[in-house]
Amino acid sequence: MNARNIVEAILLAGTVASCWIGVFGMLRMREPTRALHYLTLPACFGSMLLVLAVFVHTGFSRYAWKTVFICFILLTVNSVVTYATARAFRSREKGRWKLLPGDGAEFVPPDCES
Amino acid sequence: MNLWLAASAGISLTLPPCAFVCFRGSPERRLVGIEMTSLLLTLLLVALTIAFGTQPFIDIALIMAILTFGGGLFYARFMERHP
Repeated sequence: MNARNIVEAILLAGTVASCWIGVFGMLRMREPTRALHYLTLPACFGSMLLVLAVFVHTGFSRYAWKTVFICFILLTVNSVVTYATARAFRSREKGRWKLLPGDGAEFVPPDCES
Repeated sequence: MNLWLAASAGISLTLPPCAFVCFRGSPERRLVGIEMTSLLLTLLLVALTIAFGTQPFIDIALIMAILTFGGGLFYARFMERHP
C-alpha cells in the first residue's frame, strides 16, 4: 500500500464518516427543522472529500472534473432546498412565513412589526 | 474488495436508516429522510462508478444531483401549499 492509497483511504473514510454522522444526527433529532441541519454534513464535507478522493484516484481526468461539478451542484442545491424546506415547515406550523413580535425571536425587523 | 467498493458499502449501509425515517413519523420528518436519501444516493453512485471502473456512468450521478434539486423543491412547495 503506497502513500496514494493511504490518502485515498483516509478521504474515503472521511466521506463515509460524514454520511454516518449525518444520518445518525437526522435519526437523533426529533424536531424536523433540527434534523434538516444534518443534511449539511454529507452534502458539504462528504462530497468535497469524495471529490478529493476521485482526484487522487484518477488524477485531473474528465471524470474528476465532472465530480467537481456534482459537488458544486450538491453544495448549491442543498442550501436552496434546505431553505425552501425550512420555510415550508414554518408555514405549515404557523400558517405564515412572516416573523411577528410574539414569535419569541431576538430581533424582529421593523417592516414585520406592522 | 478495493477501497472504493468498501466505501460504497459503507455509504449504502446508511440507506436503511433513511428508509426507516421515510416510512415513519410526521410528513416533515419523512421529507427530511427523502432529501437525505437522495443526497446519499448521489454520493453512492459516484463511489460505485469509480469502484467498478465504469467512469462514463458518472453522468447518472450528475443527473441524480440535478433531480435532487427539482424533487426537493417540488415536495417543499407542495407541503407549504397543502398544510
